[in-house]
Amino acid sequence: MSTNPFCEELTALLPRLRRFARGLTHDVADADDLCQQTVERALRSRQQWQEGTRLDAWVYRIMRNQWIDEVRARTRRSQTFTHEEEGVDVGMAGHRDAENQVELGNVGRALARLPDDQREAVVLVLVEGFAYKEAAEIIGVPQGTLTSRLGRGREALLRELGEQA
Amino acid sequence: MSITDAELMAFVDGELSGADAERVSAAVSADPGLTARIEDERRLRTMLGDHLAPIAAEPVPENLTLMIAAAAAEETEQDMTDAPAGDPIREQPARVLNFATARAQRQADARAAKTVRAALSGNARRYWGTSAAIAASLVLGLVLGSQFADRGGVIERDGALVASGALAKGLDTQLASAGTDAMPLRMLASFRRSGGDFCRVFDGGRTSGIACKHEGRWTVERTVAGASVIAGEYRQAGSAQGELMAAAQGMAEGEPLDAAQEQAAQTKGWRGN
Repeated sequence: MSTNPFCEELTALLPRLRRFARGLTHDVADADDLCQQTVERALRSRQQWQEGTRLDAWVYRIMRNQWIDEVRARTRRSQTFTHEEEGVDVGMAGHRDAENQVELGNVGRALARLPDDQREAVVLVLVEGFAYKEAAEIIGVPQGTLTSRLGRGREALLRELGEQA
Repeated sequence: MSITDAELMAFVDGELSGADAERVSAAVSADPGLTARIEDERRLRTMLGDHLAPIAAEPVPENLTLMIAAAAAEETEQDMTDAPAGDPIREQPARVLNFATARAQRQADARAAKTVRAALSGNARRYWGTSAAIAASLVLGLVLGSQFADRGGVIERDGALVASGALAKGLDTQLASAGTDAMPLRMLASFRRSGGDFCRVFDGGRTSGIACKHEGRWTVERTVAGASVIAGEYRQAGSAQGELMAAAQGMAEGEPLDAAQEQAAQTKGWRGN
């Protein structure tokens, strides 16, 4: 009886996936939901994964796309609702409530303030340790775009955390 | 020689090699300003890493690992039962477990198993008698539960599935009549099948089954998935045990072993003859 390499590898990836989810969402509940959705999607689509390619990059791409979809959906909802009801918190950078920001700490706050595209570039390269080429493939942009987002994100973080960094 | 910001960043990120890396390295060591910037970049990396590292160190929530284990078990089941030839990219059914339901089901199963055991120790004859109706509607799929598969609890030997590791040890040592088996493996009943082999009905939480000791090995004759493996069609509480008990009745010669007989069989190493 054979074991299942896909499922084994996916299980081994879970700690890293949870970290990436937290880096992307900077929110505990969002990160948990995102992880769950990502694993569900990965299992459903596992026939599309090509053996011999990196499973981590494949799953990161799923996670990243799920999050982008979620952010877009929230933006749409907030655009629909804010005309009628003010103060809808959509959970994006710049919209966090004060209490949440205290929990995040300085680094988390600075990360949360980055635009989404810069944050994902920063997290993929500086935290998750992907090479530029891999990170660009995960996001689905040319490498030059990745490095320019990474550069801007870094600058902003260094500005904000400069004294501590 | 000037170094661009992009080059400096690529250098810090380990993206440069060979001559490029040497050139930047030489420039950095000659210029304290560049050295300071490199140190800032490295500190930033450390701060970000430290900020997010605790999450990767946390225990992974059970719902995620269970979901993957269930998918693995399901895939194995399909491979063994109905893998059609020439259709390698067959779509996987989108079965996603609802974890609260699955957990509730596991707890219900555990309670039901207790009841079954109580019935067995109290009045074994009556239980065998009433399970005939269940046997009539019995459909047992061969499901290799992820649980024992993961731990190397079941191995293939000459085309048969043989218990090993924790499962084999539990089958050898745990007594159904004791009723105090530690989770996750419980013994529900022991009996003899025609030919004299001793067999045992076990409940491993996610996988339950019947194993018979034949020629020194515990051969797994039947397995059924617990609620966390069979998604989409949740079983009634305890139905996995009910099915197994009914199957056991079909296999058994006579009544299930009582406490004394079970103890004696264990002492003999479950050798049937």
